[in-house]
Amino acid sequence: MTNRKTWLYFIPYGLWLALFVIAPVALIIYQSFFDLGHHFTVANYGTYFQSATYLKMTLNSVWYAFLITLFTVLISYPTAYFLHQLKHRQFWLLLVILPTWINILLKAYAFIGIFSQAGLANQFLTFIGIGPQQILFTNASFIFVATYIQIPFMILPIFNALDDLNPAFINASKDLGASAWQTFHRVIFPLTLPGVKAGVQAVFIPSLSLFMLTRLIGGNKVITLGTAIEEHFLTTMNWGMGSTIGVVLIVAMIIVMTLTGDQKPKGGTPR
Amino acid sequence: MTQPIIALHHVTKRYGDATILKNIDLTLEPGKFYTLLGPSGCGKTTILRTIAGFTDATDGDVLFAGDRINDVPANKRNVNTVFQDYALFPHMTVAENVAFGLTLKKRPKPEIAERVAQALKLVQLADYGDREISALSGGQQQRIAIARAIVMEPQVLLLDEPLSALDAKLRRQMQYELRDLQQRLGITFLFVTHDQEEALAMSDEIFVMSQGEVLQSGSPVDIYDEPINHFVADFIGESNILPGKMIADFQVAFGGHQFECADAGIPVNEAVEIVIRPEDLTLTDPANAKLTVTIDTQLFRGDYYEIAATDSLGNDWLIHSVNPAEDGESVGITFRPQDLHVMRFGEKEAEFDARLETYETEDESHDEP
Amino acid sequence: MKRHLANSYLVLVFIILYAPILFLIVYSFSQGDTMTNYHGFTWRHYQTLFSDARMLAIVANTLLVALLSSLIATFIGTLGALSINRTTKRVTRESLLTLNNVLMVSPDVIIGASFLIFFTMLKIPLGFGSVLMSHIAFEIPIVVLMVLPRLREMSTSMLDAAQDLGATTRQLLSRVIIPFISPGIFAGFFMALTYSLDDFAVTFFVTGNGFSTLSVEIYSRARQGINLEINALSGVMFLFSLLLVGGYYWIQQASQKRKHRKREVVS
Repeated sequence: MTNRKTWLYFIPYGLWLALFVIAPVALIIYQSFFDLGHHFTVANYGTYFQSATYLKMTLNSVWYAFLITLFTVLISYPTAYFLHQLKHRQFWLLLVILPTWINILLKAYAFIGIFSQAGLANQFLTFIGIGPQQILFTNASFIFVATYIQIPFMILPIFNALDDLNPAFINASKDLGASAWQTFHRVIFPLTLPGVKAGVQAVFIPSLSLFMLTRLIGGNKVITLGTAIEEHFLTTMNWGMGSTIGVVLIVAMIIVMTLTGDQKPKGGTPR
Repeated sequence: MTQPIIALHHVTKRYGDATILKNIDLTLEPGKFYTLLGPSGCGKTTILRTIAGFTDATDGDVLFAGDRINDVPANKRNVNTVFQDYALFPHMTVAENVAFGLTLKKRPKPEIAERVAQALKLVQLADYGDREISALSGGQQQRIAIARAIVMEPQVLLLDEPLSALDAKLRRQMQYELRDLQQRLGITFLFVTHDQEEALAMSDEIFVMSQGEVLQSGSPVDIYDEPINHFVADFIGESNILPGKMIADFQVAFGGHQFECADAGIPVNEAVEIVIRPEDLTLTDPANAKLTVTIDTQLFRGDYYEIAATDSLGNDWLIHSVNPAEDGESVGITFRPQDLHVMRFGEKEAEFDARLETYETEDESHDEP
Repeated sequence: MKRHLANSYLVLVFIILYAPILFLIVYSFSQGDTMTNYHGFTWRHYQTLFSDARMLAIVANTLLVALLSSLIATFIGTLGALSINRTTKRVTRESLLTLNNVLMVSPDVIIGASFLIFFTMLKIPLGFGSVLMSHIAFEIPIVVLMVLPRLREMSTSMLDAAQDLGATTRQLLSRVIIPFISPGIFAGFFMALTYSLDDFAVTFFVTGNGFSTLSVEIYSRARQGINLEINALSGVMFLFSLLLVGGYYWIQQASQKRKHRKREVVS
């Protein structure tokens, strides 16, 4: 009886969906079929898939994103796990989240200082006798900083997954004779895997497109998909090619989402 | 006859292919306590929601004091509901919850305060007005839900399994309170439950439902003593239901013997079912018994023993006895003719009532000393 | 023993998480001009920061965009969540949610680039307007995601009860639904605010020449090398973040207390 009037509430949100979700995606796909002279063409895709530079860049970008994600998981899972055993865990979790509130550019800027020729990192290396190294503008520094920035976004979903885990499962596992390690890898880890997947989603895709880090920390040596898009849009003004790479990035995103998407859990949920 | 406050005429409800209510006819008189009793999924809550206005009937009329209200929205109907999960507003205090409907009606503040205080007093939670909902026990929330509904002074109060979330002891106590409240307010209560004990304890009249139909309606005593069919007999109270055959009026055969009974108007030699309540059976010496059974097991229930036994034809018997028996012992059981109730297969309520008419009047005059 | 190992690991992670931030702030008080050797305490960089008219204007811009966009996004997002929650068909609901999440999972560069194409095509000048619209756009889905769970917690019988007691559709919304989901709305607004303050990439694409936000400004200055004024800025922003977190918890506590006090007045 109230349906007639309430659809009016949907108008602003519907407009947003149409103008800022559907239209931009459609536009970027549309734009990818135009060359610099505004002629309709599929040449951009041809260029992309025939150019060793573009393909190598894409592969590199995916490889770096993979490494960043891997390191993030390796560091974050134990952190989330140990954090979850603490007494005031919500408070400690808040402390993990707090650095995400510091602007990402400021954090990148901090590493410019830390990794510089006479910076903290090199002072430490000198102190332990290795001597100063070129750290800034290397691939390693890019991966390090990117990992640093992504860690909280990985800890959070894993922590939540651990929090959702019914402690009775752990007791049941122990009761059935599982050792601590067996309990972990047979019960806890499989049940918190959705958290890891959510974290991978939150980390991998942005890692493909961290163009400001490649500029500030990677010193233009690392070119990611994001860097390439930014360059085509804002420097060389070749929007067609930029959009083409954008479409590639969207496809990559869809693949990752599908791979990490929530498959229906095996068996019924015990309820 | 008084004007019914609520009447359903040929109400049918379908969801897609599923028929939830089949041609329901039902009238509620003012000031009585009615119960819709049936297993889950029988359509009893749908009837309640149809009266409250949350669900539209596919066919048929819903009448309130003689007026058709099918198209009146829920917020304009002079009936109120107590919900199964209480549905109290968690962001409001107890008093704000109870006052909610009155503030929507823009009643003057002093009037609201007074009526809220009165309603809270009525449910014996006078001092709880400023509490948070989350600070209340289940039983208290239950009472607040009732107070919130009755403060609106509805002519009909609908209660959707309101006691199902309470523990057994509290449930019993609330049964008394609800009955008492209904009599003090003098309004119609329509109570939905799947608990036959609740229904028997509180109601003036019970509607027993199954699969979208009302199978039988009547006073608790009538329904308990004279269930219309196997389903009702089985659903309400515990019973022994045995296959039998009508020999003549007031004569029925089962368990290999012929017995005197209180039923008539059934064709001779018709196959029937006989109901005997376990508490109507008395253990006795096999010599002066009507039937002999062998004891299988027994459970001590506190105020009685529940004894399971088998007769010579293999029929199972359930007997309630104050005294214990011995497992494997052969004992006699006895009962009075009026303890037997004969049920015909497929008999509808109207036919059953008509049949009773034919012999019950003389029966009653016969009973009078 | 195990406990110690775990704790040392956590300590190490926390050191790594906070070291760069502390490093920035420590050097904001250094008399030198680089982040290498600490040269003794000074407020000088803070004085430079607070007399930097351009920087102050940019801070004001950033806050204005953040507040305005969050308010509008909260409004539209809440309406969106209400609409999504009303859908009865599973398919409609799932597709709405998928569309809603597109901007949540899209990389910033894609959002920025596609919005740039969008604004250029519609001939919308780049500047305050385009930045504001973009921020509203990428904040809406997070508001929806914060409000929806709260709406789902709302039992249908509670809505039935309100109607049963005489509430019209409008009263249902204003008296029951909005108060009930207000924690979700508040959290959504708060998240929108942080998204806006945190954003760099999208703003970078759609900002044009005349208009700048803090992130964009920091980026262009950081590309020119070390400037301890930026360190001073991080000191201020860290303090601001702490205040925001503190404020968030204080408001939550206060709203609970207010309720308590109100109850005392009633009784």
